[in-house]
Amino acid sequence: MNSGLVARILGNLLLIEGAVLAVPLGISLFLGERRAAIGFLVSMGVTGLIGLYLSNVPAKSPRLKAREGICIVTIGWTIVSFFAAVPFLLSGAVPSFVDAFFEAVSGLTTTGASVLSRIEDLPKGILFWRSLLHWLGGMGILVLTLAILPTLGVVGFQVFRAESPGPTPDKFTPRLAATSKILYVIYGVLTALIVLAVRTAGVSWFDSILLAFGSVGTGGFAPFSDSVMGLGANTPLVLVLASSMLLAGVNFSLYYELIRGRWKQALANSELRWYLAIMGLSVLAVSLNLYGRVYGSIGETLKHAWFQVSSVMTTTGYVTADFDLWPPFSKGILFLLMFVGASAGSTSGSVKVVRLMVGAKVVRGEISRVLHPQAARPVIVSGRVMPPEVVRNVISFLLLYFAVFAVGSLMISLDGLDLFSSMSAVAATLGNVGVGFGGVGPTAGFAGLGLGSKLILSFLMLLGRLELFPVLAVLSPRFWKE
Amino acid sequence: MDILIVGMGKLGYRLAETLVASEHNVTVVDSDEEALVKAVNRLDVLTVTGNGAQLQLLEEIGVGKKDLVIAVTSSDETNVLICVTAKKLGCPRVAARVRNPDYAGQIDFLKRELAIDFITNPELDTANEVARYLLRGYNSHLESFAGGRVGLFEVPAAALPEVIGKTLAEVDVFRDLLVGALYRDGEVIIPSGETRLESGDTLYLIGRRESVTALIRSHADLGQRHVTKKVMILGGGKAGFYLANRLLTAGLSVKIIEQDEERCGYLASHLPGALVICGDATDLDLLQDENLSDMDALVSFTGHDEENLMLALLGKQHGVAKVVAKVSRSNFVPIIEELGIDRAVSPGLISAGELVRFIQGGQVASLSLMFGGQAEAMELVVPPTAPIIGKALSEAGIPSGVLIGSVVRQGQVFIPKGDFIIRGQDRVIAFCLHKQLPALSKLFDPKRRGIGHELWFGRKDTGKPSAD
Repeated sequence: MNSGLVARILGNLLLIEGAVLAVPLGISLFLGERRAAIGFLVSMGVTGLIGLYLSNVPAKSPRLKAREGICIVTIGWTIVSFFAAVPFLLSGAVPSFVDAFFEAVSGLTTTGASVLSRIEDLPKGILFWRSLLHWLGGMGILVLTLAILPTLGVVGFQVFRAESPGPTPDKFTPRLAATSKILYVIYGVLTALIVLAVRTAGVSWFDSILLAFGSVGTGGFAPFSDSVMGLGANTPLVLVLASSMLLAGVNFSLYYELIRGRWKQALANSELRWYLAIMGLSVLAVSLNLYGRVYGSIGETLKHAWFQVSSVMTTTGYVTADFDLWPPFSKGILFLLMFVGASAGSTSGSVKVVRLMVGAKVVRGEISRVLHPQAARPVIVSGRVMPPEVVRNVISFLLLYFAVFAVGSLMISLDGLDLFSSMSAVAATLGNVGVGFGGVGPTAGFAGLGLGSKLILSFLMLLGRLELFPVLAVLSPRFWKE
Repeated sequence: MDILIVGMGKLGYRLAETLVASEHNVTVVDSDEEALVKAVNRLDVLTVTGNGAQLQLLEEIGVGKKDLVIAVTSSDETNVLICVTAKKLGCPRVAARVRNPDYAGQIDFLKRELAIDFITNPELDTANEVARYLLRGYNSHLESFAGGRVGLFEVPAAALPEVIGKTLAEVDVFRDLLVGALYRDGEVIIPSGETRLESGDTLYLIGRRESVTALIRSHADLGQRHVTKKVMILGGGKAGFYLANRLLTAGLSVKIIEQDEERCGYLASHLPGALVICGDATDLDLLQDENLSDMDALVSFTGHDEENLMLALLGKQHGVAKVVAKVSRSNFVPIIEELGIDRAVSPGLISAGELVRFIQGGQVASLSLMFGGQAEAMELVVPPTAPIIGKALSEAGIPSGVLIGSVVRQGQVFIPKGDFIIRGQDRVIAFCLHKQLPALSKLFDPKRRGIGHELWFGRKDTGKPSAD
């Protein structure tokens, strides 16, 4: 293995993290939060120095193979989470390291599951850092590295493929560095628009930025203890956030098509249509179930139903209503949406609509083959035949996802939670949603879980964000032989 | 430049590799998904699956906004169709591979009437390269630059016993010649003053023609003249046909051995001066009956690399002075020359060199890919705004792996030292390792525009006015 090059790229990653830490440091200094500022300063120094050391390791060759690519992605996400946890601990915001690590992983993987309570009392710098992690993790920290350091461009496709969500990554310019830059520009512009929209809905600048980070990265950290329930009466804000999450769940390469004036191609994308259709049907079903039982007016019903559906489906995890108190049918729909996720190439987590489409088409093909054994039934998505390797990969992913979910649920149930709470805790972390039911419901949070459970769930968040295979490949004994 | 390559065969891949290394934005189209997966995993290119001659696909890719389209699919007719379509869609420059000898007479017609800017024929180029090697007087001459004023020569270090074991700074026989590159154990080295010469090295000397001639005169081993009169060509395919044709025109005696009877008939009728033998080239008895050991040169041009390699080795064993083997997998060229075969030629590599020279346009006047593409010797015309201008060479930030071999200014040849200052419009002959190509083009390209420009237009603009 070309460990020199792996070290160098990881070093660059840490250098970027160190540089980014300057932003919350500035906020804490400006607001005179001494302990937090010291925490950020120390973390910045440690991260920067280690990054500087690693980035000067000589590399044997400038070529990167698939195994080094997944190694960089898996180890990179782990160490960046590790160093991101340090300010939480040093500032005294989070007392134990396991809790700090959980919070950092939850931020970076855009899960949004929190172990913190009394969030309004925390230093602003810490709150900003938590939400900034969402923003960085949403589009991908390595994509950011590729965008800033184009010298990695030649070797980066393995990394890009392992980090970007979905079965087949979209590279839409000849140069990977250009693709990464365009993705970040689109992401940045979308974020800025959302900040303005949230601000217009009557929220302070600081909270607007944090809410925008949380929604565009489909994360879910809010600067309030009760998520956004306290702002549930502010209808414009609820609608702005619900649409922001919806937009963040769209494949970003479609925005590029739009910019290039190719409306038709963008709108003909079948994953987009399925995504909107699933969301629309879910909102309708939940609304019919809630109307008259929970909310009296049609407007209120639709507002809360859409917000919760949009939030859970895009794996954000903001809540305007305690859906744990909703009727079982609505809860069931939200639970199932945790296994859907939004589009490939978006910032959302979980399975992704395109994989379910492929799965459904394979099943339909098999059914028709019972009647016509010789029928040719290729899997066609957006007018293109999916290569058999991709179909195989998708089917294995689906199987593996549910296997991990089952095993994870059993392990968490050892903690004494009831079975549905355990299952929802795993679905919410593996799918990067961040909010579950019962013991980990909208008002409960993850603080009450044991140390072991927190570590397992942290692992599941990383596993889910990197889409299972890279992490499991690095953990397989075969990877380290040779 | 934004370049579209249609066809990801050996030539397409080799081209994409070279162009990506020179910082061009490359998009590749092929109908074979597997070839594209291989390309995208190893090269920073955009891949599109489909039939590259289809109008809808070309429009979708935005061929009108590309600076260049290169059609190198396996079919000549498809390549021409692609070029014509691309040109009509507004692409300023198009190039195609056309290799059927039946079309050889209409290349000029295709260029003029169908507006195809460049046509490469790998088999013809290969045949010409081999013919050049067989026909030249001195064994050591390799390439001429700047209209013949500067020569590139290949000299085994063993022929210059006084230089072995010394560093280049200590050696004085070269006087106003420069060692541009060394070939040692299958690897190319771009030397510096501290490089020590070893007996197994092959040196590549560059300099004024007269200086080279003087060096050769003073060393008897180098002066050996090989006059080739009798050539045996194994395999009468396209390349064999072109080579035989060329050698016959030069007055040599040519014997072709070809297995396919119908093909033999074609060769015999189209090459009246040649002796065409219908038989299996791998049949040793046949080769001996045809006086293999009596030949001055053996050229093995069958369709199989392995056969070519073995037949060439066989020729060497029978005392043939010059043996040449065709190898389609260009990566093996250096290894094969290690085995004692005088020349291994790869049509893909030669064609890639031709195309790269065409693409670099005005700047690169002449270019040869050396040693299976590990390094290149190229002649550049320095644009008036290049960053290298006005600084002493030792301070111009020239990376290791790049060497300025000679500079031609107003007809005068200079062998530059560290204090030499390059001016605009100089012709520079540079040696460069393949991996240092981006660094080299940075030294010579006119100023680039920034990231903002690239984001806005979705491509890098080198500030060059588009050629033609």
